[in-house]
Amino acid sequence: MLSFEQRVDKALGDKQLKIAIERTTGNARRKRAAAVAAWPEFQAARAAAAAIKDHAIGHMAYYLEMFERNALASGAQIHWARDDKEACAIVVQICKDAGAKTVTRSKSMLGEEIGLPHALEAAGLRRVETDLAEHIIQLAGEAPSHIIWPAAHRTREDVAVLFDAHHHIKPDTHEIESMVESARRELRRDFFTAEVGISGANFLVAETGSICTITNEGNAELTVTPPRVHIVTAGIEKIVASTEHALQLTRLLVRSATGADVTQYTTFHCGPKQPGDRDGPEEFHLVLVDHGRTKMLADMAEMLRCLRCGACLNHCVVYRAIGGHAYGGAYPGPMGSVLTPVFDGLEQTRDLPHACTLNGQCRQVCPVDIPLPTMLRHWRAESYERGFEPRTVTLALKIWALVAARPKLYRLGQRFALPVLRLFAKNGWISSGPMLGGWTDARDLPAPAAKSFLSRIADGEGRP
Amino acid sequence: MNARETIFAAIRAVQRDAAAPATIAAEAAALSEAMKKTLPPQDPDRLALFTARASAEKVGATVERIGSLADYPAAVARYAQANGLPPSLALQPDPRLQRLAWAPLDTSETLTPNTLLSVGFARGGIAETGTLIFHSGPESPILSSYLSLHHVVALDARAIVAQLEDYAAAEKFGAAPHNVNLITGASGTTDIEGVLARGAHGPRKLHIVIFDSVF
Repeated sequence: MLSFEQRVDKALGDKQLKIAIERTTGNARRKRAAAVAAWPEFQAARAAAAAIKDHAIGHMAYYLEMFERNALASGAQIHWARDDKEACAIVVQICKDAGAKTVTRSKSMLGEEIGLPHALEAAGLRRVETDLAEHIIQLAGEAPSHIIWPAAHRTREDVAVLFDAHHHIKPDTHEIESMVESARRELRRDFFTAEVGISGANFLVAETGSICTITNEGNAELTVTPPRVHIVTAGIEKIVASTEHALQLTRLLVRSATGADVTQYTTFHCGPKQPGDRDGPEEFHLVLVDHGRTKMLADMAEMLRCLRCGACLNHCVVYRAIGGHAYGGAYPGPMGSVLTPVFDGLEQTRDLPHACTLNGQCRQVCPVDIPLPTMLRHWRAESYERGFEPRTVTLALKIWALVAARPKLYRLGQRFALPVLRLFAKNGWISSGPMLGGWTDARDLPAPAAKSFLSRIADGEGRP
Repeated sequence: MNARETIFAAIRAVQRDAAAPATIAAEAAALSEAMKKTLPPQDPDRLALFTARASAEKVGATVERIGSLADYPAAVARYAQANGLPPSLALQPDPRLQRLAWAPLDTSETLTPNTLLSVGFARGGIAETGTLIFHSGPESPILSSYLSLHHVVALDARAIVAQLEDYAAAEKFGAAPHNVNLITGASGTTDIEGVLARGAHGPRKLHIVIFDSVF
């Protein structure tokens, strides 16, 4: 596997990637901004949403037991999984018991996190992804690159090539509408031949034992209604107290994700089909997964608020430059850089918390006010303390500390370095210079100001 | 320890003090109220608000109003003709629909993957978001709302609540159906370049017919 630096180099060298990401995230940022502008008390609502989620997490055992009790009463079968492997093994066993050959799947980030797509295929099951973006990346043989738009790295031109090559009936044109219609035609048959449908959950509702899915395409209901067996995989942090709380959080989740008030389809699934029902599954399985969440309760509980809206990705300058794949985990962007070290270990993923400018945008747009920059700094500190940082980094930090603690030396260094840097500046930006390639190959460096902050203070600026 | 016991033990190791259920419930109720105080003021005319939200560009439904439910078949016939559809439809098996005079439209209860037009009856609506409410059951198959290319839905003007919280409060003590389907506009996707396209897997068009009385 490529190192993080190699993946970043590859991403930065891909001009198409930048175009694709900018089209999707640019649209998302504009729509979110419009939706937030129409809600004057949005900041107060964020605080209220964070409190609602903290309430459920703070009484996690109580609400999970309530959820379990109500779900069992509705006829659901409940399976608990400590980690990713255990969760996948449970899902595969249910599929085998159902005699499944074809399994349809509606997009779920938890499924990606635990490696479910791979586990299903390894078990010899035919896996059909039914979300449009997941369908695109399944055809391309790729992993998702965004938690809301898994095919954010693909342009419409890429999709046209894929659909022409793989669809039984090619799209009529390469307009987006026509390609969406082609996917509709292609996937229709699989909804009715699959023996098992798998989905995730946006919320586990303690009060009713229902799970809630929030989707736009209608593929989720078509995935889980016709097959005899519906399997839900969900992280235990998805617990909320009530239907009311779930709907209140939905208001912020959807505005932050796509800018809509709510998605087209907000569905609460409660147990299997009931007597007299015309459709619905006969078996309803809930696989409730820990995979690091109970560890996060102790010192990263705020991260368990995360609603998976993707706003922090869309507003992150690093994500927008390198896309999702370079991060190397199921979750990219700021929230991914906080989560991936929990799942894969900090030693293997120490680059991720460093791939951040700490500009604070992620926290500002987070609908539940997760202090993402603080958590990323926490990972950096821990990586340093546990000796995971390479010698070049620790040495550079030691030199920096040495200089920064000696003001005279610091100012002397500045006096020589700044005029040299200014020589390479053009219109306020430096686009190349000796030993600056690591920075300027992929972006420009702002030129130093005409006078440094310290010399302005020394000259008496800013005094009344 | 099995997986369940391990998980609960890990949670309780961090959260040692269990509050009384009444205390937790009071806290939950206060949190809902705090959220409600942040909501933007909305048009108190629920019917006008519902109509505006449902037909907003980002929701993309069309809305018409008829006086009596008895006029619903005529409205459906007009819709079919205007959209170039054949005069046949899959009718949601709701007795309130089955009682109506559908001729000359050809109705059937059978939904297929190729059904062009499905005609239904909503349990209610939510004005804030222009949302239709369905509870699955013998008279309300889930797929009636998802399988066809066109979905036409009757909605009683008196069954529209103001906001999401009102729906949750109204159903709080009712038995949960297998599915609660809250449907807001036609199926859509922004999965290619963030551009909205309709009819991804569910209906490409949603037409809502609001009636005032059943007579």
